[in-house]
Amino acid sequence: MEQQTFYYDNKIVKLFAYATILWAAVALLVGILAALQMAFPILNFGIEFTSFGRIRPIHTNAIIFAFVGNGIFTGVYYSTQRLLKARMFSDLFSKIHFWGWQLIIVCAALTLAAGYTTGKEYAELEWPVDIMIALVWVVFGANVIGTIIKRRVKHLYVSIWFYVASILAVAMLHIVNSIEMPASLLKSYPFYAGVQDALVQWWYGHNAVAFFLTTPYLGLMYYFLPKMANRPVYSYRLSIIHFWSLIFIYIWSGPHHLLYQAMPDWIQSLGVVFSIMLIAPSWGGMINGLLTLRGAWDKVRESPILKFMVVAITAYGMSTFEGPLLSIKSINAISHFTDWTIAHAHVGALAWNGFLTFAMLYWLIPRLFNIELFSKKLANFHFWIGTLGILLWAVPMYWASFIQILMWKEFNAQGTLVYSNFLQTVTEINPFYYTRVLGGLLYLIGFIVMVYNLIKTIKAGKFIGEEEATAPSLEKSEKRSALSETAHRWLERKPVRFAIYIFIAVAIGGAIEVIPLIVVKSNIPTIASVKPYTPLELEGRDIYIKEGCYNCHSQMVRPFRSETERYGEYSKVGEFVYDHPFQFGSKRTGPDLARTGVVGGKMYKPAMWHYNHMMNPQTTSQGTNMPAYPWLAEKEIDMEGLSSKINAMRTVGVPYAEGFELKAKADLLAQAQLISDELKAVQINVAPNKELIALIAYLHKLGKDISSQNVIDTTSNLVKK
Amino acid sequence: MDIKDNERKFLIEDHDYDGIKELDNKPPPWLMWVFYLTVLWSAGYFGYFVFFGGPNQATEYSKEIAIVDSTKTDSLTKGLDENNIVLLKDEKSFVAGAELYKSKTCFTCHGNNGEGNNVGPNLTDNAWIHGNKPNEVFKTIKYGFITKGMLPYKDQLSDQQILELTSYILIKFKGSNPANAKAPQGTVIN
Repeated sequence: MEQQTFYYDNKIVKLFAYATILWAAVALLVGILAALQMAFPILNFGIEFTSFGRIRPIHTNAIIFAFVGNGIFTGVYYSTQRLLKARMFSDLFSKIHFWGWQLIIVCAALTLAAGYTTGKEYAELEWPVDIMIALVWVVFGANVIGTIIKRRVKHLYVSIWFYVASILAVAMLHIVNSIEMPASLLKSYPFYAGVQDALVQWWYGHNAVAFFLTTPYLGLMYYFLPKMANRPVYSYRLSIIHFWSLIFIYIWSGPHHLLYQAMPDWIQSLGVVFSIMLIAPSWGGMINGLLTLRGAWDKVRESPILKFMVVAITAYGMSTFEGPLLSIKSINAISHFTDWTIAHAHVGALAWNGFLTFAMLYWLIPRLFNIELFSKKLANFHFWIGTLGILLWAVPMYWASFIQILMWKEFNAQGTLVYSNFLQTVTEINPFYYTRVLGGLLYLIGFIVMVYNLIKTIKAGKFIGEEEATAPSLEKSEKRSALSETAHRWLERKPVRFAIYIFIAVAIGGAIEVIPLIVVKSNIPTIASVKPYTPLELEGRDIYIKEGCYNCHSQMVRPFRSETERYGEYSKVGEFVYDHPFQFGSKRTGPDLARTGVVGGKMYKPAMWHYNHMMNPQTTSQGTNMPAYPWLAEKEIDMEGLSSKINAMRTVGVPYAEGFELKAKADLLAQAQLISDELKAVQINVAPNKELIALIAYLHKLGKDISSQNVIDTTSNLVKK
Repeated sequence: MDIKDNERKFLIEDHDYDGIKELDNKPPPWLMWVFYLTVLWSAGYFGYFVFFGGPNQATEYSKEIAIVDSTKTDSLTKGLDENNIVLLKDEKSFVAGAELYKSKTCFTCHGNNGEGNNVGPNLTDNAWIHGNKPNEVFKTIKYGFITKGMLPYKDQLSDQQILELTSYILIKFKGSNPANAKAPQGTVIN
């Protein structure tokens, strides 16, 4: 056993820390803009690049992958080296990882602003960026695993378990959810159709929360919290139990995003029960964190860093209790599609991820620069104003959602909806949207104070790029001795085996839910009257996705009287078989659009109404927070890409006849002419090749295929006259 | 690490990761019980709904609708004779009609005072596209003229409500000369 001297690479940690701060600034500012837009729609500026449908995905992606992502990497690169007593496996990999990830973020921001999106939440990036993510993630994984291989510490600490689980699970989730057929350089269609796509997407989406926002941060907590408090971890046994139960159970819970929707009941039930079983495993992390602080509460009173940690961990506990509650069907029935979900997500992001990252930076930066933090007072100020900001953000959103839920569901004695006009339920909660902006601003002010504090610290200190360390080399690993070593302790020094077990644990749930839905036909009963989209409707659908309509409008009527009364027949599993991607949506800032094509139905609006609404929503819906889309009447439909779109759709399973791609353009123009003529009859001139015409065609297709009553409804009117 | 004396017996000696020590405390029993109970509850829930005939969402929906149908008192189906509409002239009905004009957003296409706008026609002049007899206006509201942009309200309003709205429009708007009135459309009927 020889003592070896080596150097920790702090330069890569510093780079990631700076990137974390930079992207946090961007993500928070874009968040403020999005919040402002919901309160004051004029701030969409009437420009496509700044309209809410594109701003919101930029905000969510920036928070998750740019801010939290770089936060993860900062902490992982710092703690992994120290926990394994080894420099990172490869400096080149570290650099490729860093610059590759920043390049991905820039590409993401640009493509999302330009409207290139897959239309799947938190997986919006188009296929070339998806490939970049996969490659860079593999480099990151190889770098961490390489470091584990050449480590100088026999056993892997719990933080490393969480890092390995996160790396493996995110790779699996990202790759499976991103299997898509390119139609052009920046446009693709997912292989999965409708209900299948929805399930895969929410398996991914929910576990992006699990394995991107949660498990890596638990790993960070297990390293930084004992360090910050100088206290031993409360319970090693609890670490083992909650680690394995958490990663195994989390992966099954995705279907709770699809409760009471067009999804086989057995899958929904799996989503419910695994979410409920997730309470204790999630809380294991909170309990282990808080009990580690047992006997150190006097330190919490003095240290802003520990205050941040306590709020972060407590918020984690609240969110992971609220999450399972929201997965109970009767609660989900009222909470889903409202701001309740948004409040839930923001408690997690602002308090758990945000505050833990801030605590880490306050602790880390002074150590990297070998100096004390510039001002503890300012850090305290940051803590209090940040906490107030979170409260002012979340409380109004909970309140708003309760008001809206009650309004959506209230019937009068005649048996009709009291607020049958959806708009009334939007204008009612506008005051809460103002308050939210205030909450966001306070949080941002706290952040700016932190940046100032850290810059002052950095300026005064001297950066240690290469930190010297010594450790004995690792002995050759011996066989397990059943007497002196538990099975888990043995596993902790067998990284490859450990990683394989982890992968098995995270792969099972998804496989059991997703594969039967794709393979077993009876899960998705066929509805013969459901027809593929015409070329014009397909183009319209792509515009719907491009403008991010799904961010505010669902296409999913749930089987409740309050919804069928407002929107029409509830959505059926078999209706979505040609939807690549699905567009169920997850929030109703505006009304559901699943039945806008049912002529004479509750949601049908004629072409002229759509024209007026898109040009200036205030003319048809005074007080709405819907942005205007004037460019839709200017921009032309992309006819060039049409035939390759038809071909791509055929590849993923839509039964367009062979050779249809050649006739598609003529078909499109013929259908477009009819809509253009209809508008002309009411003195509105829009050429048939404009995007708006395609969008109207799509809206007029939605949900009508299973409705036979259309015909009767309109003719009865004509007959009576 | 700051380790209290009473913790020494729980300290795991050979665990040291960059100075981080671990204690061998038992997980709190209440937390373990939460776990066991949620597992038990889940088994029961899943068994009931998936294997032992618990209601699925389609049957829950049918049940909800059946209850409503059996308790409806003043239902939408309770109709008036559409060919013999007699306007209501009491103040209460006008107030109800005005309220409906707002809440059903008639104003978005016909203006706040019936003056019309770039979508819908003026309702205060003598020109009418689909007639101005009480039964004609009643039917226009009830069944709509979907291709011209007028939506049907038969699923959202009871016949009584449509009558209140018809009365309000035909009596209160007539000759009111609102500001920004839209030019007449349709046939002039005196």
